[in-house]
Amino acid sequence: MMEHWLVVALVMAFLSLDETAVGNFMFSRPIVTGPVIGWLLGRTDIGLELGAVIELIWIGDLPVGAHLPLDLMMLTGTSVALACELVKGQNLEAVMTYAMGVAIPLAALSTEIEILLRKFHVRWLHFAQRKILNSQFRIFEWINHLVLAEQLLKGFLVSAFCLTVAHFSSGFYVLLGKMLDGKVIDGFYYAYWLLLALGCSAVIDLLVEKKTAIYLLLSIVAMMTLALWRPLPDVYLVALALLIGFLFTLFYVGKGETA
Amino acid sequence: MSPEERPSAKVTFFDLAHCFWRIFFLQTVWNFERYLSYGVTYVLMPVLKKIYPSPEERGQAMTRHMEYFNTHPYMASFVLGAILRMEQDKQAQPKSKQKQKEDEISALKVGMMGPIAAMGDNLFWATVRPYCGLIAVTLVLSHAFQNKGQYWIIPLLFLAVYNIVHLGIRFMGFFQGYRQSDQVVLTLRKYGFQEAIRGLRLASILLLGVLIVFVNLSVLEKEVGLFVLKLTFFTAIVGLFTFALHRKISPSQMFYAVVLFALMLAFWPTISAPPVLPVGGQ
Repeated sequence: MMEHWLVVALVMAFLSLDETAVGNFMFSRPIVTGPVIGWLLGRTDIGLELGAVIELIWIGDLPVGAHLPLDLMMLTGTSVALACELVKGQNLEAVMTYAMGVAIPLAALSTEIEILLRKFHVRWLHFAQRKILNSQFRIFEWINHLVLAEQLLKGFLVSAFCLTVAHFSSGFYVLLGKMLDGKVIDGFYYAYWLLLALGCSAVIDLLVEKKTAIYLLLSIVAMMTLALWRPLPDVYLVALALLIGFLFTLFYVGKGETA
Repeated sequence: MSPEERPSAKVTFFDLAHCFWRIFFLQTVWNFERYLSYGVTYVLMPVLKKIYPSPEERGQAMTRHMEYFNTHPYMASFVLGAILRMEQDKQAQPKSKQKQKEDEISALKVGMMGPIAAMGDNLFWATVRPYCGLIAVTLVLSHAFQNKGQYWIIPLLFLAVYNIVHLGIRFMGFFQGYRQSDQVVLTLRKYGFQEAIRGLRLASILLLGVLIVFVNLSVLEKEVGLFVLKLTFFTAIVGLFTFALHRKISPSQMFYAVVLFALMLAFWPTISAPPVLPVGGQ
């Protein structure tokens, strides 16, 4: 990881701009950040899988009102970089669990720094207001550019710090592997499967209500029957679910228009 | 020339396009005092410059827009388009009626920001994004695109589906807001956002069913009974975790609790038959 340290930190800094400052095109979501960082480090597959798991677990952490969710871009970037560094000769699932465990506190730190910056932006706001009253409109526009540069710099510095900490934590994993007959690593391996269950729970917590729980049950039974009765390639099952979902959406939108 | 004599400035499509471009920087100076107020003023600037040539008037107009404003960043387009039209209309009116129009603009902002924030949060953060994310996650965990060249299909699909809706709403909201002015409030219901939310949530639930089956599918080739048993056990654990998440335990806390539980499982002598761990190095 350290040979690509600068490039990865720079890419993470640019991706962090998408979180709030520019656009919100969702380039900073784990499912996109993961493969990008994985590709830079030569393991797109790890990036994609870790990105998917992180996306699933934190799917319900929403930026509603003044609440700032955990910095998922930082969490994904750091954990993918660490997993890519550790994976040679190791079990992939165990490595991914460990990498996420190391990256969560770092992502929380990044969120705290973002909160501090947003408090600091109040000063920019008052400064800009004074300039407007003096008819210095150019300065008002420049403050916007300056804050963008500030966000980019913050993204770079925090990413660089997180990557460095992650790099030094890789030795600890090797140490854990040697301890207690490798049982700690077995534990990380089991945890990965449980984390997928946690991700599914996060989706249920966000989307499923008492009235709609029956649809989930029906979906599981239908998909299980299809998988047992006629083992279709997985992509067809996804396509089938998407099609039924699309029809549901059309039905409800149509119902709304006629009501 | 007094405002009574001045003809209203002609706002061109390029001025509007310039404002629309700036919508993507709406949250740059997001702050805990007045949230999006800086961004709103920044978005409106190109048109304000055109309709208020005098620096004093422009300064006053910009100061008016620096008041507290917080809403969903995508749905803000509806309000911003409407404000632009109302500012333009205000300038065309005699000075005696301009104060009233200023109050109307302020009332529109205050009145609309709450409802559209709730709608935007519900539509985008709690429905469209999880739906797109769930499509991508299901495809990744089902190993649908396993070959090296196909990895990018999934993130690109996620970005495409999400941004078609996102950019569509931003574009439509801004230009509909500009066209309908303060009447845009009345037309918001016609877009069927609530119905779309209901439909998309059901679609997401169906996808979740597929995902739950996929996660356990790997053992199906070995034994059908094992598959059903694993799926039942998995569903029970999902139920347990959902109960914990309902109790407002954060996903990060749950993560560490899960890892701790798994470590205990690994050290449990009767349960732990040491797995033969596959190695992921290249």
